[in-house]
Amino acid sequence: MTDQAELKLLTPQCDWQSLVHRHGSPLLVLDCDVLRRQYRQLSSALPGVDLYFAIKALPHDIVLATLHREGCNFDLATQGEIRLLEKHSIPPKRTIHTHPIKRDVDIRAALRYGCTTFVVDNETELRKFIRYRERVGLLLRLSFPNPDALINLSKKFGLPAPEAQDFLAKAAELGIHIKGISFHVGSQCRTPDAHIRAIDECAELIQASRKTRDIPMRMLDIGGGFPTSYDGAGLPIDEFCTPIRKRLEQLPENIHVIAEPGRFIAAPSMVCITSVIGKAKRGDRIWYYLDDGVYGSFSGQIFDHVHYPLFALRDGPRQPCVLAGPTCDSIDVIAEDILMPELELGDLIIAPMMGAYTSATATEFNSLPRTHIIAINTDAHAEDSVTKIA
Amino acid sequence: MINRYEETLYDAYTQVFSVEDVYYESKSEHQHIIIFHNSKFGRVMALDGIIQTTERDEFIYHEMLTHVPIIGHGAVDRVLIIGGGDGGMLREACRHSSISRITMVEIDRAVVDLCREYLPTHSRGAFDDPRLNLVISDGAEFVATTDERFDVIIVDSTDPIGPGEALFTEKFYSDCKRCLYEGGVIVTQNGVAFFQIEEAKNTADAFRNLFRDWHFYTAAVPTYVGGVMAFGWGTDNTELRHQPLATLEQRYQSAGLTTRYYNPSIHQGSFALPQYLANAIGKPG
Repeated sequence: MTDQAELKLLTPQCDWQSLVHRHGSPLLVLDCDVLRRQYRQLSSALPGVDLYFAIKALPHDIVLATLHREGCNFDLATQGEIRLLEKHSIPPKRTIHTHPIKRDVDIRAALRYGCTTFVVDNETELRKFIRYRERVGLLLRLSFPNPDALINLSKKFGLPAPEAQDFLAKAAELGIHIKGISFHVGSQCRTPDAHIRAIDECAELIQASRKTRDIPMRMLDIGGGFPTSYDGAGLPIDEFCTPIRKRLEQLPENIHVIAEPGRFIAAPSMVCITSVIGKAKRGDRIWYYLDDGVYGSFSGQIFDHVHYPLFALRDGPRQPCVLAGPTCDSIDVIAEDILMPELELGDLIIAPMMGAYTSATATEFNSLPRTHIIAINTDAHAEDSVTKIA
Repeated sequence: MINRYEETLYDAYTQVFSVEDVYYESKSEHQHIIIFHNSKFGRVMALDGIIQTTERDEFIYHEMLTHVPIIGHGAVDRVLIIGGGDGGMLREACRHSSISRITMVEIDRAVVDLCREYLPTHSRGAFDDPRLNLVISDGAEFVATTDERFDVIIVDSTDPIGPGEALFTEKFYSDCKRCLYEGGVIVTQNGVAFFQIEEAKNTADAFRNLFRDWHFYTAAVPTYVGGVMAFGWGTDNTELRHQPLATLEQRYQSAGLTTRYYNPSIHQGSFALPQYLANAIGKPG
């Protein structure tokens, strides 16, 4: 398959050249149709599960506005994310605060906004809620180590499941209501096995709690980890979710199940366009210098352990080359030994799948500004400028 | 436009209003403000997700926080209102012709401006009363620095999470005491005791150290859900709380008030506390 054909498979065809002509380079192109498609796909793969988009993956105005109109809820973790939610008048009852570690000012800011669901995973954190116990409903985050995930999220956070009973007893003693259990089995799971193991253990705990009179739980947060493919491989989402769905169907009806997808919704929604700004032959390789790099939109290559597909808009015999970012640091290399046709200054490199943890973690190192995001296929209600293409 | 408004005070229990019209919604420098119409309560104002006042039941709250201290005191010349931006407290205080000066310190000018426009029956023109000295400032800072003295201080605060936070501290209460004439009285809003008992407890802990006589009194305000709301009472004049009914009646008569909740019997009876509240503040009941 040619580069061009493969690119078309990963992202709707756009006139990249004219977008750059109009908006400059580098450029991130956010496609709201893709956001909506991803949200709807996961919703129908997990019927009855309320989705809370993890804002951290792509904290952008148009993303929040678009998903809000789709009926999506939101997973927030910081005061900055609360400001973003307030800006879009998103009802606080449709949010949960999922950061396991918070300062008192963070708890108060969330309560002021009106978010009353918080996550805890240790006793020190639990005690922070003694003074707010009349107001809040807490989720206990458990850890289920998952060797299968690309990114292990059960190391930094989460109470080991065997300690849950003691923790619940402590909470009851302090008069703090634990209304449910949450877990996050890690990002980019290859199989749903870890989700299923965790759901089974949590279901047991919840069922047990409902037999004792004083602390029945009613909520299960199955976290994220829903895979999205950066290279065309991997399970389709419906297939991935089928066994999860079957497990959830066995839960009592009045248990409220939620999930916190971030990457699955955001990753395919954005494409990065970057331009060749320098070209040098060093040894037997041609080095191409681009105007975006690992300190910018490609920061996910460092923090998120992801490599994005890269395409040139030019045909010709391909040879191994190096694609480097624009900063002065030698670590700022996007790809070594990548096969590319010979490129010229001004040529565009197109990188699909750059929605999640890309601009979210970009820096302004070297005083280079973060890459501008433009949105396409925003719907009629959107206030922001609309660039209709597609 | 929204068609229902859900209070965000508690996770597991809430009140929801149908919304017929939204008059105003915005975030001021200090807080999120919404004023809407509900067919049962009329115009409703909420700050930071919490119902502050409605046209239909505001009289209970405002009558009880003004007439109880003013009639209980019996010779009030100067009143300080902390907060009270909607003007309801001011309206009730202005009805006492014996009062010569009312200072009102509100932190958020937006609340005053919006309530004059969208909740005009709260103030009923009281903002134009020549006895009013309206100060837009932080109430905690005002009582810490002013040279003025008052017979009655009314603390009409919002929820303790938000700009009203400083109005629940011992430092603030002690600064208020400094601003009282000898034998003056402070009354405070302390939340719905059934759900927010910590608010009464904290104020009790402060008043215990500050005043020779302190107590709480209560009234049930429908949109402050959860039962009776607790009002703090602090003064160094131990007699004020124990006025004979005849005295209260005579003062009520001579003030020429017509009221819808307050009357001298309610005044006396409101100091009788539910046992759970008495226990929480360490009083025999």
